[in-house]
Amino acid sequence: MGIVLFFVLQNRKAMKTKKKPLYQRKAFIIILILFVGFVGIQFVRPDVPNLPVTGDLEAPADVKAIIQRACYDCHSNNANLRWYDKIVPVYWGVASHIKDGRADLNFSEWNKLAPADQKGKLWESINQIIAGAMPLPSYTAVHTEAKVSPADLAVLKNYLASMVHSKPADTAAINAADKQYLHWEKNETAITKLSTAANGISYIPDYKNWQPISTTERFDNNTLRVIFGNDIAVKAIKENKIHPWPNGAIFAKVAWAQLQDKDGTTHTGEFKQVEYMIKDDKKYASTYGWGWARFKTPKMVPYGGANVLFTKECMNCHKPMAAEDFVFTLPIKH
Amino acid sequence: MKTVYSLIIACTLMLAACSDNKQVELYNTKAALPASAKYNLGGLKVITSFVNKTKGTASTLYGNDLALKAAIEGNKIIAGNEIFTLVTWKQQDDDHWFGAKIPSDVESVEVIKTASSGNNVAINYQQLNGKPLDLKTDTSGQAERIKYILGQKPSVLP
Ligand code: HEC
Ligand code: HEC
Repeated sequence: MGIVLFFVLQNRKAMKTKKKPLYQRKAFIIILILFVGFVGIQFVRPDVPNLPVTGDLEAPADVKAIIQRACYDCHSNNANLRWYDKIVPVYWGVASHIKDGRADLNFSEWNKLAPADQKGKLWESINQIIAGAMPLPSYTAVHTEAKVSPADLAVLKNYLASMVHSKPADTAAINAADKQYLHWEKNETAITKLSTAANGISYIPDYKNWQPISTTERFDNNTLRVIFGNDIAVKAIKENKIHPWPNGAIFAKVAWAQLQDKDGTTHTGEFKQVEYMIKDDKKYASTYGWGWARFKTPKMVPYGGANVLFTKECMNCHKPMAAEDFVFTLPIKH
Repeated sequence: MKTVYSLIIACTLMLAACSDNKQVELYNTKAALPASAKYNLGGLKVITSFVNKTKGTASTLYGNDLALKAAIEGNKIIAGNEIFTLVTWKQQDDDHWFGAKIPSDVESVEVIKTASSGNNVAINYQQLNGKPLDLKTDTSGQAERIKYILGQKPSVLP
């Protein structure tokens, strides 16, 4: 915009003054410099190789067609770049999207994920679509054919819903839960040394004395969850000061496997993990103002191991909740 | 030029206003229990949480320290001063996550209080129904509900 305006002004000036030869006119020289620069930067090209497909997404044809059309440019090893995508500086944006997109989710290397993780990524995908976060809006603005229509969304939802099966727990699940319970009941799981995640956040044992602010039944991955808030969080809820949440607020979300009995009641089975979000807009400024950590099994094994990048996974999935300070849970205020 | 500037400013303001207008739902107001002296969750801890997929309900069982301790020990011995509170909600789809259900309107609050006098322990049971938390006066079925609630195995919270 600015550049165009500038040229118009320059040209009007040029018309008023005495006519100079074309090559001496300021406007011409500027255009020339810009053009040479434009051609020059075309050679600054990060590589976007189309890597081999190790094992493509397997899904019914109608489902796959939607995902290929809407997501494969950035989340597969077969990016189909149009001519206008290849022009720098547009190309730089495209290349970086492909690099980041592939790193987080790659439908061409689907076989590298465990079946449970494949399912998880599909549910995450549909939720990113519903939230309007994917495909990236900046991309669909140009590639309108990649938009996911309400009819497409219904196809995807039906497919995922068809994968949900609820059935009474089998003996293996019951035994696993019983065994874990016995250890816990006898206090044999008590942790003597606090385990710490790669970003320095330690397991906080006191979470179980906090107040529950909500519960969820997750039928996408067969778990039950309770979300606890510490005193600062609960006080903020009471005082209507949760937008944004105050520094010091902490959530702990606990997940158990579902254990369904014959009359339809589903109880908490094996403890899977506890996850924390700790609000501190300065200390954790680089991770959306929250400190993230997940500890698995009663042994509290830190998720991500020594790799601090695990927080990116948390952030990506919580990102569509930016307007709610990255928090999914709607607290229940009594 | 002045008009151009004022146009630009007006447009910017309009855009800013639009993006600020996004209604953000912050609380699950449906699931909130009304303030009432008939129950008190203050200081209670989570014993367990469960759902009934046939009825489409979600429940959380709360207890004071004595109740939690007794529940972990299997409620084999009922002592005095234990408070159990079972809150049951209808479920609703989670607008923020396709694949989750969260609590909706409250269906009932059941409160068990134990009191000991001498060698006896009295168990008091009250059932409050619906959003107005109406006290259920019909006492039939109480023994069964007490047995059900005291029979709940606590969730593993390591
Ligand atoms: C223009 C490129 C582009 C397109 C098209 C696109 N994405 Fe993405 N996607 C990204 C980038 C870049 C990221 C990395 C995170 C970010 O920047 O938000 C990402 C991240 C994600 C994530 C989070 C991955 C994780 O687990 O960390 C999911 C899920 C996702 N995309 C799903 C989809 C789906 C489903 C589609 C198609 C409907 C799609 N995306 C289309 C670029 C794209
Ligand atoms: C695939 C998506 C996804 C990923 C990845 C994810 N979360 Fe969440 N998280 C959710 C959803 C959905 C909820 C809402 C509660 C529920 O339904 O389980 C949630 C809720 C939470 C809460 C309770 C507060 C809130 O926002 O509602 C915490 C704490 C939390 N997550 C921590 C983490 C941490 C730590 C990580 C990374 C190790 C992580 N999450 C990764 C989807 C995700």
